[in-house]
Amino acid sequence: MKSIRVEQLKYKYPGSDHFVLDELSFTVERGDFIGIAGENGAGKTTLCYALSGLVPHFFKGSYGGNVFIGDLEVYTHSMSEITARVGLVFDNPFSQMTGAKYTVYDEIAFGLENLGVPREEMHRRIQKCMKQLKIEELWNVNPFYLSGGQLQRVAIASVMAMKPDILILDEPTSQLDPQGAEEVFQVVEQLSAQGVTIMMAEQKIEKLAAYSDRILLMNKGKLICEGTPAEIFSRDDLDDYGIEPPVYTSAARSLKFRQHTPANLPVVLGEMPTFGLEKLSLPFPHEEAVDVKTAEIVVSDLSFSYEKDSEIIKGINLKLSGKPLAIIGQNGAGKTTLVKLLKALVKPQKGEITVDGVKTTDTTAAKLAAVIGLIFQNPNDQIFKSKVLDEVMFGPLNIGQSPETAKANALKMLDRVGMASKKDENPYDLSLAERKLVAVASVLAMDTKVVIFDEPTIGQDAMGKVKLSLLINELYAQGKLVVCILHDMDFVAETFEHTVILGGGRVLFNGETRTAFSQDELLREAGLEQPHVTQLARRMGYTGILLKKSELH
Amino acid sequence: MKNGTFYVEKASIVHDVDPLSKLLFVFVSVGVTYILSTHSFVLGVLAITLLVLLLGKVLQYIFPIIGLSLVLIFSIIIVQGFFHPDRSTLWFTIGSVPIYKEGFSYALLLTLRVLNMVCAFGVLILTTKPDDLVQSLIRKGMSPKIGYVLLSVLQILPQMLAVTGKITDAQRSRGMETEGGFITRVKSFIPLLTPVVLNSINDTRDRSIALEIRGFNSTSERTFLHETNHFKYGFVIKVLLAVSLAAVIAWRIFI
Amino acid sequence: MTKQSMWSLKFSTAALVLIPAAIGINYLGKLFAELLRLPLWLDSIGTVLSSMLAGPIIGALTGIINNIIYGFTASPISFVYAITSGVIGLVVGIMANKGWIASIGRALVLGLVVGVIAATVSTPLNILFWGGQTGNIWGDALFATMITHDLPLWLASFADSLVVDVPDKIATVLVGFLIFKNLPKNLTRMYDSRSEIDRL
Repeated sequence: MKSIRVEQLKYKYPGSDHFVLDELSFTVERGDFIGIAGENGAGKTTLCYALSGLVPHFFKGSYGGNVFIGDLEVYTHSMSEITARVGLVFDNPFSQMTGAKYTVYDEIAFGLENLGVPREEMHRRIQKCMKQLKIEELWNVNPFYLSGGQLQRVAIASVMAMKPDILILDEPTSQLDPQGAEEVFQVVEQLSAQGVTIMMAEQKIEKLAAYSDRILLMNKGKLICEGTPAEIFSRDDLDDYGIEPPVYTSAARSLKFRQHTPANLPVVLGEMPTFGLEKLSLPFPHEEAVDVKTAEIVVSDLSFSYEKDSEIIKGINLKLSGKPLAIIGQNGAGKTTLVKLLKALVKPQKGEITVDGVKTTDTTAAKLAAVIGLIFQNPNDQIFKSKVLDEVMFGPLNIGQSPETAKANALKMLDRVGMASKKDENPYDLSLAERKLVAVASVLAMDTKVVIFDEPTIGQDAMGKVKLSLLINELYAQGKLVVCILHDMDFVAETFEHTVILGGGRVLFNGETRTAFSQDELLREAGLEQPHVTQLARRMGYTGILLKKSELH
Repeated sequence: MKNGTFYVEKASIVHDVDPLSKLLFVFVSVGVTYILSTHSFVLGVLAITLLVLLLGKVLQYIFPIIGLSLVLIFSIIIVQGFFHPDRSTLWFTIGSVPIYKEGFSYALLLTLRVLNMVCAFGVLILTTKPDDLVQSLIRKGMSPKIGYVLLSVLQILPQMLAVTGKITDAQRSRGMETEGGFITRVKSFIPLLTPVVLNSINDTRDRSIALEIRGFNSTSERTFLHETNHFKYGFVIKVLLAVSLAAVIAWRIFI
Repeated sequence: MTKQSMWSLKFSTAALVLIPAAIGINYLGKLFAELLRLPLWLDSIGTVLSSMLAGPIIGALTGIINNIIYGFTASPISFVYAITSGVIGLVVGIMANKGWIASIGRALVLGLVVGVIAATVSTPLNILFWGGQTGNIWGDALFATMITHDLPLWLASFADSLVVDVPDKIATVLVGFLIFKNLPKNLTRMYDSRSEIDRL
């Protein structure tokens, strides 16, 4: 028997006029790993809801076609009957906790108590799942104190304890840092190896290619095609669907591996040859005619701690100016604290920071707003207006722009981030990724000399990242100093020529990105990895440091 | 707030008593001070309540809680003491201000009652884990959903509190002042509160989904991970409390 | 919403989950009001919002549970006012349902009504438990003045509550109204327990 059977599934959310799922049909075999690929808004999340019964039972709306889990028809059964067969884990690690349990152990028990599982059996299952998900040592910890990666593993354990036939993962790592994401991927890989049927929607395409038996490619609510990762990612029209193939596939394409069109390209590192790039030479860097002059931030001998005796910043000296630069480093390296210091949200205990000649200790965050624009990680922490345009105009008006100028700037920036058509919508009617772009525009509209981004790529799909990269270069061309805190090494390599590595509150490296990624020892110390393309080039015999896909030829 | 509640983890006889008996104790202890309104009786009840706190090894923790009610107690003493409408028996005078006995006598009674109320609730909240109380209530027939709501508040509060710092930072970064004249401060209330409201209302959708997929609406007979038969003395205490209450009522009616 | 559904005891999961969130909002309203040194409590914005979103029963539950939790975590005195909070939720829910949040003018009236009713409910509690005061300096000063002029206790106590509650509740309902009006449809729809699946 098929594990999942979907027949002509159509679905519209209540009050909406378009189908988010449009005539979907497919089947899944027991024990398979199915990847779901597609840009933001393709319908991946809604499909995950439909498979777990939330569509239609929780969301209501208009529903056509059929979904079967084994022999159980989703439409005619209640949520609690479906949840005993299907487990769902979604992107937001915090709101997935029930919030009513004070230890990880009790949290996992929540679903079992609801289903009326006998006590002995509960203990057995919880212990088994904690072991499977490698969270045994966390059993007595309050979920509130866990990291994102740990929370996601608790979430998986909580649904696995209910012994579902199928585990559905909806972008389980999109809100995690690389370390947390890796923790989750490791256990997902292991569960799959143990024979659990898994369906996973994910933007990290390399992982999708590595784990999936089959891939569903979705776009605008439709199932474009279904096939093995090699079949799907070798397609020439992926651009049309807003997804990028794995870096290996792009590399193979650039290097003209394919002799004739129908043949598939490699999709994982292991399929790439271990030779072929020994003689690669980098294209001659075309020097820009003029170096743009930007504002300058000087950090000297800076130290800071929130609590006594645990310094987060330990004597940093930095001069930031000129080309856009990336600040990288593990969690706890002091990146966010450094940015808060730059922005005068907290004041240094030792040393000083001058922004364009003005000391941060002589000013306030609100006054500095006209000079430094800071874009926070989570757009939800700032959005409060009911119209996108009003939200974007809030900052400009605060720093004294006239209403006309503020509006003109807001419209210009909305256009820049590709959100001009949504200017009259309510920000909370948009997706999280779109809200993030609204937040970006809301800071850029203040037209500050310095722009700082904190993790702009989290939750963005391939197209979103391309947009961001262009934006950063445009800002520089206008003479702005752009500083970016990042976890996404691929994005760093593609976009920034200048990189600062932080580790343990100190500057470990400050210089060219290419040099940064050549420091094996230092990267290990900072807990960082090389970009995918760099690793690939190395495997294929290139002795230097390759940073961009376009450098392969 | 970080630890959620006032609960103090200790090994004591009072900690070993089941939550429902303690809940009953609160009602009886507060109730009798309104049934019999003599100073000596209310003082006696307060003494018993304090003794229970002592037995529970939590006496020192009650003082900060009493501290929270100090404004009210001062207000009672001043307003009732000086302005009580019944002013016939002159007690003494401060300068030219006459002080009457009735007012202060009444103020003393009210203060004793308030102190007893705070201490009686103190017995419950200092020695009872909230989840134990909620679970006991669920076993007695309270809807598990209401039980969920009660417990989740205690988890959500610190979470929402953690967000407020980020919101303040984000809005200040966009040039919003939180210091200054009255109008400036009023104007910043909405930009500070609204993100957290939108955030938490938006989160209710995710949280509802999380609950739905964990069988929150299941109709099967639910089971409990933890046993609760480690509580002692429940029956004796309940009988004792019922008898005391009956005695006080009888006293009021017949004597 | 129809009349029956306003009183329905069949809550959607979303409506139940709204209660803890609303209690958190109550708490943060109070916190920000203190932080900005505003002369009001603003500690029931969440209750008011939950009533507007999910009806009188959820609103009343929010109010009652709010004070129980507050009693457990901050001050046992607040147990006493659980009834007042519950009634606030109830009144806002019913009146919102009858169209009293259609405009800002109507919301103002709603705030006034809520303030008067809150004072009415609190008065007997204040008299029973603490001889008629509220613990608020301005209100209690008025109370003291009135009883020295031999006005009846209940009147003095009611006036005490009134000066405390009315301005606060008007501000609370207005803030709640402004936020409610700005909420996107896809969020407000969630709490409606009436909607059905449309089978294609």
